[in-house]
Amino acid sequence: MNIWLDAILILVIILGLFIVASTRLGTMIQIFAMQSMILGCVPFFMYAKEMEVYIMIVALAAIVLRGFIMPNFLFWAIRHVSVRSEVSPFIGVGTTLLLSCLSIVGSFLLASKLVFPVSISSELVIPSSFSLIIMGFILIVGRTKAISQVVGYLLLENGIFLFAILLLKKMPLLVEMGILLDLFIAAVVMGIVVNNISDEFNNTDTMALTTLKD
Amino acid sequence: MNISLSLHLIILFVFPPLLLGIIGKIKAFFAGRIGPPLWQPYFDLFKLMHKASVYSVTTNWIFRAAPMVSTAAILAAGILMPIAGFKPPVQFWGDMVLFVYLFALARFVIILAALDTGSSFEGMGASREATFGCLSEITMFLNLTILALLSGKLSLSEIFLGGLSSSWVLVGPVLILVVVSFFLVLLVENSRIPIDDPETHLELTMIHEVMVLDHSGIDLAYILYGKAVKLFLFGALLVSVIFTFKTQNFLIDMFLFIFEIIGLAILIGVVESTMARLRLNKVPYLLFSAFIFSIIGLIVILVRGH
Repeated sequence: MNIWLDAILILVIILGLFIVASTRLGTMIQIFAMQSMILGCVPFFMYAKEMEVYIMIVALAAIVLRGFIMPNFLFWAIRHVSVRSEVSPFIGVGTTLLLSCLSIVGSFLLASKLVFPVSISSELVIPSSFSLIIMGFILIVGRTKAISQVVGYLLLENGIFLFAILLLKKMPLLVEMGILLDLFIAAVVMGIVVNNISDEFNNTDTMALTTLKD
Repeated sequence: MNISLSLHLIILFVFPPLLLGIIGKIKAFFAGRIGPPLWQPYFDLFKLMHKASVYSVTTNWIFRAAPMVSTAAILAAGILMPIAGFKPPVQFWGDMVLFVYLFALARFVIILAALDTGSSFEGMGASREATFGCLSEITMFLNLTILALLSGKLSLSEIFLGGLSSSWVLVGPVLILVVVSFFLVLLVENSRIPIDDPETHLELTMIHEVMVLDHSGIDLAYILYGKAVKLFLFGALLVSVIFTFKTQNFLIDMFLFIFEIIGLAILIGVVESTMARLRLNKVPYLLFSAFIFSIIGLIVILVRGH
């Protein structure tokens, strides 16, 4: 029974729900930063008995990158394009919450069917990583503003990171750093996309991309 | 045995209006006023009992019966609930289902009475109460299911008198979810501020108060008293989940319980003073998050084993 790890994972799921349910971009980014910092602490709890230097480096890198640099970058982006909130999402807040709730149930069911080669310190790690991934997808599909889609993508990456923590012992450090780098580059690319959309169309509504323009 | 029974009943019947007084005092403190005395709810009840009731000609017996039936149902729920570590007078296997449905009955007759007045204003309040009620009831049941799974018992007295003693150590996170979810349900069910303002009487966004606008005299006294008892019972439920520790001395337990529930009333007062009321269309999201909290708790319990 690893009660602290359980508490952290439940908190992470709930913060994910808050991100999915909020329509204000600033709130979304702040909660995302909080969730990422909490996620960065997961390795310390999971490998408390067999702490190694590279595990600490990965955890600290995750905290700094996802908890400070990415949110600041996103805040810079919303200042630059001056959007404040998601006005008319494709999927409303109530439906999004319902879908996320179903995704949590589904990921717990799915995780109970899977067999993993490595021993897992908490039964909640895999379901919560699955549900974060699905919530990220819901956010990407359900929102129209490019920045909330970026947050959805980052939420998805957080889920993948949580899953990768399980394999931290087996995976070389390089792969871990690759994940972080991939995330960073993806966010930069998204930022450029966001700015270009806003320069072209005077807003960051991705709906504008589906119509042809001369 | 008889002493504990009579103490249980005395606390159940006499204590609840004091909670409203405490909440009023806390709100007055935050507003920088002195506020009404702590005993004001008792004075109000006493005053209302000596006033005559006025009945509209469009109403029939349902309107007259509803306040009595609802208060009786709430008090009957109180008889099932262990208070201050005392065994309840009535307990049987599965009484938690009856506990929830007695509150549903109380709500149902009040809704009927509101519809009976024929006023569209009250009908609107009734529709809101029914909507939020069906959302909070399912959350309530889920939370009780979690507690029943944790303790392996289906009776409120067995759950709360020792059934949960080791749960905080084993599955603390889940119990925190249950507590948060219960607290949200408590605010909704007792129409406290983030959902509904118990002070206003002339706003289009209110829920519970609008249904009882036509009651007067002793009927209103019944409704106010029933409301206080309901708040007390939800508080007792919440406090029993949070504080599972019991000294064996019943007198100390009783005073601890009373301090805990006064602390809860202070917390509600602070929440009421520091928060603004939610927009009406946001309230279902709040209830829905309470529901999701308890769903997550239930799943974790099922996955973790208990």
